[in-house]
Amino acid sequence: MQENLQANKEKCREIAEKLYELDGEVYSCVGSALGRTFTGDRDNCIRSLAVLMYTKPDGHLLRSEMALISNMARTIQNKEERKRLMIKYDSILQEVAALPDTFGSVDILDLGRAQLNTSNLRQKFSEDDHLVVCIGRTQGSAGNDIGFALADALRINYYDAEIFDQVMKRLEADKDSVSDKASFTNFDKYKKKSGFHLKKWLRDFNRYHGLPTQDAVFFNMSDLICSMARSEDCIIMGRCADVILKNNHIPHISIFIDAPFAIRTQHIMEARNMNFKQASHFLKKMDRQHRKYYQFYSGEKWGNTENYDLCINSASYGIKETVDMIERMIHQQ
Amino acid sequence: MKKLWTFLSGTLVALLSCPVSVYAAENGSEATGVPLWLCIPFAGLLLCIAVMPLVKGEWWEAHQPLVVGFWILLLVIPFAVVYGAGMTAETVLECLFNDYLTFIVLLFGLFCVSGNITMEGDFAGSPRVNVGLLALGTLLSSCIGTTGASMLMVRPIIKMNSWRKRKSHIMVFFIFLVSNMGGCLTPIGDPPLLMGFMRGVPFFWSLHLFPMLIFNMVILLFVFYHLDKRAYKKDIAVGAKPDIRKPGTEFHIDGLHNIIFLFMIVGAVILSGVLPGMSAFQDASGNVRGIHIFGEVTLGFPSVIEIVIILVATWLSFKTTNPEIRRRNHFTWGAIKEVAVLFIGIFITMQPALMLLKTMGPELGITEPAQMFWATGALSSFLDNTPTYLVFLTTAGTLGFTSGITTTLGMISVKTLTAISCGAVFMGANTYIGNAPNFMVKAISDENGVNMPSFFGYMLWSIVFLIPVFILDMLVFFL
Repeated sequence: MQENLQANKEKCREIAEKLYELDGEVYSCVGSALGRTFTGDRDNCIRSLAVLMYTKPDGHLLRSEMALISNMARTIQNKEERKRLMIKYDSILQEVAALPDTFGSVDILDLGRAQLNTSNLRQKFSEDDHLVVCIGRTQGSAGNDIGFALADALRINYYDAEIFDQVMKRLEADKDSVSDKASFTNFDKYKKKSGFHLKKWLRDFNRYHGLPTQDAVFFNMSDLICSMARSEDCIIMGRCADVILKNNHIPHISIFIDAPFAIRTQHIMEARNMNFKQASHFLKKMDRQHRKYYQFYSGEKWGNTENYDLCINSASYGIKETVDMIERMIHQQ
Repeated sequence: MKKLWTFLSGTLVALLSCPVSVYAAENGSEATGVPLWLCIPFAGLLLCIAVMPLVKGEWWEAHQPLVVGFWILLLVIPFAVVYGAGMTAETVLECLFNDYLTFIVLLFGLFCVSGNITMEGDFAGSPRVNVGLLALGTLLSSCIGTTGASMLMVRPIIKMNSWRKRKSHIMVFFIFLVSNMGGCLTPIGDPPLLMGFMRGVPFFWSLHLFPMLIFNMVILLFVFYHLDKRAYKKDIAVGAKPDIRKPGTEFHIDGLHNIIFLFMIVGAVILSGVLPGMSAFQDASGNVRGIHIFGEVTLGFPSVIEIVIILVATWLSFKTTNPEIRRRNHFTWGAIKEVAVLFIGIFITMQPALMLLKTMGPELGITEPAQMFWATGALSSFLDNTPTYLVFLTTAGTLGFTSGITTTLGMISVKTLTAISCGAVFMGANTYIGNAPNFMVKAISDENGVNMPSFFGYMLWSIVFLIPVFILDMLVFFL
C-alpha cells in the first residue's frame, strides 16, 4: 500500500511538472504580458498541483486550472503550434483522467503537513536541507530567551530584528518611513494613521507597487525568510515564518511557546518594571495584535495547536529545560 | 443532421421565394397578436448560452455558429409561416442593418483600438488599487462609453491581478460598475441614453443621475473592498505574492496615440445621434435618408457615416500600432468572434419578445417611477436595453405629465425619466447578456487565466449584490 502511495505521488508530480511546462509554453507562444495561469515559484506551483491531484484527482479545482490553460492555448495564432500544444494538453488530460480516484483516501495523512510532524524528522531533512526552527511565542513566555539559547546550543543563527534590517536594506528604505510591523509596537492594521501626507503617500504607493506598506514589507520579508531557510541553518522568531515556509514547501520545525497568563504577567512585571495592571493590559494588547497579524497573513489561528509541530508551556520547564527538550527532539535522542 | 439542415434551408428558401402578399399582412400593426411561442427560440438560445458551456464546453465552443444558426432558423421559419416571408425578411434585415450592424461595428472598433493600447508596469493588484481602478473605470464609462471603458481597462486590471488566485469577483464587479452603471451620466455612456437624446432629452440631463451613480458606487465599492480584502488575505495565506523585489514602480503606456482613434469612435457615436435630426439627412416626410435595403428597411446615412468613421479609426489604429503591443496584450479575435456570433442570434431571436413588449408595454399599467425602474430593468437584463428603454419612454410619454422633460414622445416627469434611465443602464449588469461589454469582459477574462462564473453563477452574484442595491435605489430615489 505504501509503495502504491509513493508511486502515485510520483506520478502526480510528473503530471504536475508537465502541466506547469505546458502552461509556460502556452504563455510564451501567446506572447501575452497579462500573466500566465500558474504564477509564482516553479517548485511551489508543481507541488501544489501535485497535491491537488493527489488529494482530489477528479476535483473541480484541478479541472478549472486545466481549463484555464486550454482557454489560453486555443488563442494561439500559429495553427501548428496550437495543434501541437492542444495534443500535449489532451495527453495530459488523459493521464489525469487515468489517475486512480481513491488513493487519496488510503491514509489520514495531510500531505501538506505530514512532513512537519516531529516523528517525520528523519524523512524531513535531506542532506541538502537546512535545519530551520520557527518559533512562535506569546509575549512574556520567555520565547525569545528560549530561541536565543537554542540557537546558541545548536550553534546556528538566530533571526529576529535582523530580518527586518535586511528587508530595510533591500528596500533601501529609510527607517523612519517604515516601522517593523512584526514587532507589533505600533501595529494596528485597521486603525487610521494620523498625519496623512499626500507626497509621502504617493512615494510609498510608487515604492511598494501600489501595495500597503505593511503588505509590501511582509512580501519582501517572505522572500528573505525563504532565501535564508534555503541557505543556512537558523532559528526564526515569529513573523509567520512557519506559514511562509510551509507555503513554500521548505522543511522546518515549527514550535509554539506559551505560558499561563498569570506567569507571563509576572514575567513582564519583572522584565519591564510594570505594575500588575500595566503588565496585564500590555499583554492583552500584545496578544490581540499578534493574533490579528498572524491571522491576516496566514489565514490561520495564532497559537492553535494544530498549526505547530510542538507546543510547549514554558512555565512547566523553564528556559534551560525547554531548550534541552527541543534539542533532544531535534537530535532524535 | 444533414437531412435536417437540407429540410430547414429548403423550407426557408421556399418561404422567401413565395409572393409576399400570399402570407400575412406586412403591416407592423399585425404584430399585435405575436404568439408567445415565438419567443421559444430566444429562450432556447439563452438556455444554450447558460447551460452548454457547463455540460459540453468544448463542443459548444467549436459549434457556437451552428447552434446560433439553428435557433435563428427555428425562429425565422415559424415567423415566416405566421407573418409571411416579406415581413420576416424585413424584420430580420431591419434587425441586422439597423441594430446589429452598428452595434457590432462599434464593439469591433472599440475592441481593436483598445487592444492596441497596453499598460506596462509592475503595480500589484490589491484591494485599494482595485477599488481605485474600478472607480476610475466607472467614471470613464460616461466619457467613452461602457464598451470603450471596459475594453480599455480590462487588460490592465487582469495584468495587475495576475499574481492572485482569487480574482473572478474583481471582474464581476468590473462588469457591474464599468461595463454598466458607469455609463449613466451621458448619452455617450450607454446606447439607451443616446436614444433618449435623439428623442429630445437634453444632452447633459443625464448628469441628474449622478446621485444614483454615486450612491451605488459607494455601496458596491464598499462591499467590493471587503470581498476583495478577504480574497486578498486568502491569497496571501496560501503563499501567493507579487514580484516586488525591485523597489519602485515602473509604469508606462504604449500605443497611447490610439486615444485619438478612441475619441474618433466616440465622435462617430455622437454623430449618429445628432445627424438624424438635421434636415440635410431627412427627406420631405421627415424620414432619415439612407441606402434602401429591402421593403421598408433602410440603412440611414448617419449610420453609414458612423460605421465608416469607426472602421477608418480601426484601420488607422492597426496601421499605426506595432503588432508587438497586441501580442503583449494577448489580443485575439476570440472574444469579439464569440460576441458577434452569439449576439446575432440574440438580436434576431429576441424580435418577437420586443414586438410583444412594444404592443403590451403601454397596456401593462406601469405608471409609477418605481414600476418603470423595475420593469425597464428586468427586461433590460435579458433583452437589448435600447428598445426596452424606448418602449417605456414611449409609454411614459403617453401618460400625460404636465411638467418635466419635453421630448418628442411627450412630456415626461423627471422622476419617471430617471427611473427608466437607471433601470435600463443599471440592470444590464444583471446577466452576461444584459449588455455587450459584459460578455466581452467575460470572454477576455476566460482567455487570460481568470475563472469566470458560469451564466447562472454570474446571475447569483447579481442577485446577491446588485438586487439589494436596486431595492435601496427604489426606496431612496423612486418612491
